[in-house]
Amino acid sequence: MESTRAILVDITKCIGCRSCEQACKEAHGLPQQAETRLSSTALTVIEEHGDKFVRRMCMSCQDPACASACLVGALKKTSLGPVTYDSSKCIGCRYCIVACPFNVPRYEWSKLAPYVKKCDMCYDRQVKGQSPACVEACPTGASIAGSREEILEEAERRVLLDHKYVKHIYGSREVGGTSVFFISDVPFEKLGFRAVAEQPLPVLTANALGDVPTVVLVGGSVLAGLYWITQRREQVALAEERESFTSFKSSEERK
Amino acid sequence: MATNNSIHFPDPPTHGFGRPPLITRPAPGPDTNPGSWIQQITLWRVIVGIIFAAGLYAAYARFALGFERSTHLVDAQPWGLWVGLGTLCGVGLSAGGFAIAAAVYLLGFERYRPVLRTAVLVSFLGYSSVIVGMMYELGLPWRIWHPIVMWNRHSILFEVSWCVMLYSTVLALEFSPALVEKIPFATLRDFYLKWHHELLIGLVLAGTLLSSLHQSFLGGLYLLAQGKLDPLWYSPYLPTMFYLSAVPAGLAVTIIALYLSSRSLNVRIDLNILSDVSQVIAPLLAIYGLFRGVDLLSRGGSMYLWTWREETLSFWLEIALFVIAPVVLLSRPAVRSNPKYLYWTCCLIVMGFVANRLDVSITGLQASSGFYYIPKWTEFALSLATVTAAVIAFRYAVVYLDVLPRNSSAQRWIVRSGPARA
Repeated sequence: MESTRAILVDITKCIGCRSCEQACKEAHGLPQQAETRLSSTALTVIEEHGDKFVRRMCMSCQDPACASACLVGALKKTSLGPVTYDSSKCIGCRYCIVACPFNVPRYEWSKLAPYVKKCDMCYDRQVKGQSPACVEACPTGASIAGSREEILEEAERRVLLDHKYVKHIYGSREVGGTSVFFISDVPFEKLGFRAVAEQPLPVLTANALGDVPTVVLVGGSVLAGLYWITQRREQVALAEERESFTSFKSSEERK
Repeated sequence: MATNNSIHFPDPPTHGFGRPPLITRPAPGPDTNPGSWIQQITLWRVIVGIIFAAGLYAAYARFALGFERSTHLVDAQPWGLWVGLGTLCGVGLSAGGFAIAAAVYLLGFERYRPVLRTAVLVSFLGYSSVIVGMMYELGLPWRIWHPIVMWNRHSILFEVSWCVMLYSTVLALEFSPALVEKIPFATLRDFYLKWHHELLIGLVLAGTLLSSLHQSFLGGLYLLAQGKLDPLWYSPYLPTMFYLSAVPAGLAVTIIALYLSSRSLNVRIDLNILSDVSQVIAPLLAIYGLFRGVDLLSRGGSMYLWTWREETLSFWLEIALFVIAPVVLLSRPAVRSNPKYLYWTCCLIVMGFVANRLDVSITGLQASSGFYYIPKWTEFALSLATVTAAVIAFRYAVVYLDVLPRNSSAQRWIVRSGPARA
């Protein structure tokens, strides 16, 4: 069994050279123009927050909200770690964009046959044993890739040994854990990271969906019971009516 | 059971075929010239023409130019008016059909039977317009059939899509006798109607369950927006709230449809029925308001209730329109017994309902997305054209089919009061 892959981004090491952006565009066949925000043609970007450079991309959640939201199962958490998108299934409902806690997926709003675009952690490359294009291109080692356990261990080691780091690995607990981790010497909320719950989001809908059999069974029996009472009542009323009518008729005849 | 002094006899096996037409039109006078097309142009026809022309351009913009040129949707606001109004309100406001069908067939509230067909027709046209809306809302509408073969049972939207598909079918079957009874071949007609009668309870039961599921799951869609949706609207009980609000709103729409039919179509409707239906709405709205209030306060939402921001103002507008004003108005017998007042009260309910759905889908997400979404005019135009088409379909259906209740409905009850019978 293959181990789950992960990426660690060390914000203290990023110099903002944007090699990752270029490599990503090259690997995904996207036009080579610099962009400041994630878009349908920029699946990873370097955002500047003060003097810090923060890379943004799909967090590849362990239990992704987008994959649970997608009604046709176009988005999937692979056993390798990346969350992939099968464009041949997509119907363009855009619920994944609503659902993503990190606001990552982008839509091709200008196209007549628009698809969802997001980082897939270079799934095709990873299957072949290569590391993601962005990681390979990083000249300072700000982004490193490896198995999720190794990467998490490395992140912990850095955070524990060096006091400059904030004592938190972003992605280790967020929405039940992700496959992309960030460590930083500046508090994450100052770098545009959203504070999200530690519970995986799909749990919220799973609870609601779990009620379906109960609703169908209990609701169905209650409704059927009510119908039985209703029609029984009608029958009784009809019978009573018939009875009173016959007694009325016989009393007429007796007269 | 002893007090049961009114009895309903099952409908005689009559059908619409051969019954006198419901609508009586004044015969054309000697000085009217039916051939002149100028005289056919009325203000309403001009308005409808403008709506359709705008809708046609909007459809062109959507399909030939794309989302970017036809909407103001962006990644921060991927669902706009077409979802908030078209889908959430379209489905919610069509809840009258299942509510009245369940009341009549399962709970035995025979006094609502006269409005049953109207309610089912309104619902059917509502769901039809939702499905039409999907054709321009979806990015790849030609793949609308994908959920039938590609399943993800962890997805709330998957459940919603299946429930909507199945329930639209149920509504079509529930309404089908109105069409079938117009078939001039007696054997075929009676065969269909006999089988329909046999299966009807099953349909109504399935329809009630399907409706209960997807009405609430439309709210369930936003469970994933935890941390994005404003605390005034986000709740783990969103599904319950969507359900509790849809039923009274659907009933209000039924009243509006009946009232407008009686106003514009020269039909006589027993308006007491409207008053009957309205008596159910007020308690339902009160229950919703109470549930919503308790839920909000128990989650510590009181701190958001009195701040000066757009979300709070929208919240109070919605509560005032949907809960406070209708409950106060409907508690007054003068409003309940006056069809016109009742109609306007129902309009308030519908406006409040629309406000609620737009708050959940648009206003409540603004703060977290940082994007202030105002729909483009083409979004309004396409939605308006879809609704207008449904209204016109309703008009033709009630003119040519036996849909609206007749005044003679009172004759179906025979009051047993002892010797008076002789």
